[in-house]
Amino acid sequence: MKFTIYQETRIGKRANNEDRLAHCYSRDALLTVVADGMGGHYYGEVAAQIAVQTLTEAFKREFKPRIRDPFMFLQKGMLNAHRGILDFAGKHHLQDSPRTTCVACIVQNNVAYWAHSGDSRLYLLRNGKVLAQTKDHSRVRLLVDQGVITEDEVLSHPDRNKIYGCLGGQQTPEVTFSHKVTLEAGDVLVLCTDGAWSGLPGDILAIALKTADLLRAVPLLLGQAEARGGPTADNLSMIAVRWQDTYSDGSSGGSSVISTRTMPRDTVTTKMDEFGRNPQSRTELTEAEIERAIEEIRSTIQKYK
Amino acid sequence: MIALTSMAQQANQPLPAGFQLDEYCIEKQLSLGGFSIVYVATDGQGQRVAIKEYLPNTLALRAEGKTAPIISEEHLPAFRYGMKCFFEEGRALAGLAHPNVIRVLNFFRANGTVYMVMEYEEGCTLQELIQNNPGRVTENFIRNVFTKMLNGLREVHSHRLLHLDLKPSNIYMRNHHVPVLIDFGAARQTLACDAPMLKPMYTPGFASPEHYSQQRDLLGPWSDIYSVGASMYACLAASTPVPADIRKARDELKPAMVLWDGKYSDQLLETIDWCLCLNERYRPQSVFALQKALTEPVVAPDPPPKDNWLGQMVGRIRKSRDA
Repeated sequence: MKFTIYQETRIGKRANNEDRLAHCYSRDALLTVVADGMGGHYYGEVAAQIAVQTLTEAFKREFKPRIRDPFMFLQKGMLNAHRGILDFAGKHHLQDSPRTTCVACIVQNNVAYWAHSGDSRLYLLRNGKVLAQTKDHSRVRLLVDQGVITEDEVLSHPDRNKIYGCLGGQQTPEVTFSHKVTLEAGDVLVLCTDGAWSGLPGDILAIALKTADLLRAVPLLLGQAEARGGPTADNLSMIAVRWQDTYSDGSSGGSSVISTRTMPRDTVTTKMDEFGRNPQSRTELTEAEIERAIEEIRSTIQKYK
Repeated sequence: MIALTSMAQQANQPLPAGFQLDEYCIEKQLSLGGFSIVYVATDGQGQRVAIKEYLPNTLALRAEGKTAPIISEEHLPAFRYGMKCFFEEGRALAGLAHPNVIRVLNFFRANGTVYMVMEYEEGCTLQELIQNNPGRVTENFIRNVFTKMLNGLREVHSHRLLHLDLKPSNIYMRNHHVPVLIDFGAARQTLACDAPMLKPMYTPGFASPEHYSQQRDLLGPWSDIYSVGASMYACLAASTPVPADIRKARDELKPAMVLWDGKYSDQLLETIDWCLCLNERYRPQSVFALQKALTEPVVAPDPPPKDNWLGQMVGRIRKSRDA
């Protein structure tokens, strides 16, 4: 597999960042997850963290080196996250369990599979156009579908934050699955939270990311979205992936392209921020990571002794 | 191995002899690289080991008489990032157990940095061996050393790893006759490097052409095979071959077939030239293919024509056939 990937989350003008995002990949499969902990609920960030952690950990367990059934994986992962959140609430005697949205995508064999619950979105962009996008599980989305309000009224509607699909709620979460979509070289997948998409219409996103270097374009887009959010800007997060497979050469991205061809079959590379840590230094190892790396090497040495 | 693009060069002080490092006692410094210091030490049982200390010259400075290196706030992210690469070397080696690949025995943290303990045995590098005994470089010697060394490289490749810094000074001759691959500092499982301040380093003359270019996705077993060819060439020439980037502009590398015709079998010389093809697709694509070429029985040169009329006839026919 060959792709460029970039992820970033910003706190906006809030006191807390309750967005969580992660990606991990093996030689033959890529998982991306975005979760937005719910502001009105306590421990929103815990719920979001449980969601991304549950999915990435499942990925590390189940790739061999691909995921056997990606839709089944996404369904199980999201339901397990949901139960994990309820367990957390039970263990800490919370009156109301925390909640989170979740959107996750698997890419393997050039095919993308995604699922979502709530109003965090996935866009699939091709040739500067939106080819596919998830449909929010929100009240305003229903109203648009019923023709009660127009697309333009969504962002100013008083109920715009009311969503009916989420992990950790009273009911079993509503999860919507995509079709299998075969990716072409140059396709861009964008996963983002409402803080990001509400300030960035899909067509603008598609044009901005058509050929641009993701490492530069995504921070610029988030900057725009944050500015549009004004003095109360919500947390905003985005993962963008540019697919570079199908053996076409000379694509943009240069040395930042990730090629998994030389990876061992049994390893996974994960990018997920530690809980409660300010994700500003992307290259620095934390103390915990150093300890973990050393532990891992020592146990491998033991195994081969 | 990692090079830092723009930082002042400083000399780091090694830990002194007799220093107690974890369960090991430092004997002496073995080598000093830009990225690390290697020591000979003894463990609790009196067994000798080699210890590699992560200490990038340009980021961490150990003053004389001090133990922990000084790392400025500004350099800490880069220092920690380089540590990732050191871990990758550890991970790469820990999973490899092969007589022709250096064994990692332990890995630990001390003095604000990290250490990798490896087996140590008497011997010298292939480079030293050749420099000190130029007469030893016979056809059989080359075939023997490289066929055995390639057993190790095959194991490395079967773990989906590339060595990426093969050269005679990274082939250690255990007890002066068993080749062992050392220094996996450049070995990569994944070639993604996300910190612009660090770039992978290579050794000119031994690194493949694709190693120089930005197209990292062209790297493969054939890249290590180029380095094997360059190492064999260097053994015969007793000097470093022309670097691949210069060859790409104007190829002035004399083929082994031209330089050593008659001194070594055609088949060995052809194999060396095969490995040194600039186009990665024309080289042996796997270590196995190369090993096969190296272990094939040498075709004996034609016997001189016998001194009778039949022999002369045969000789004449051969000549006219070859012409």
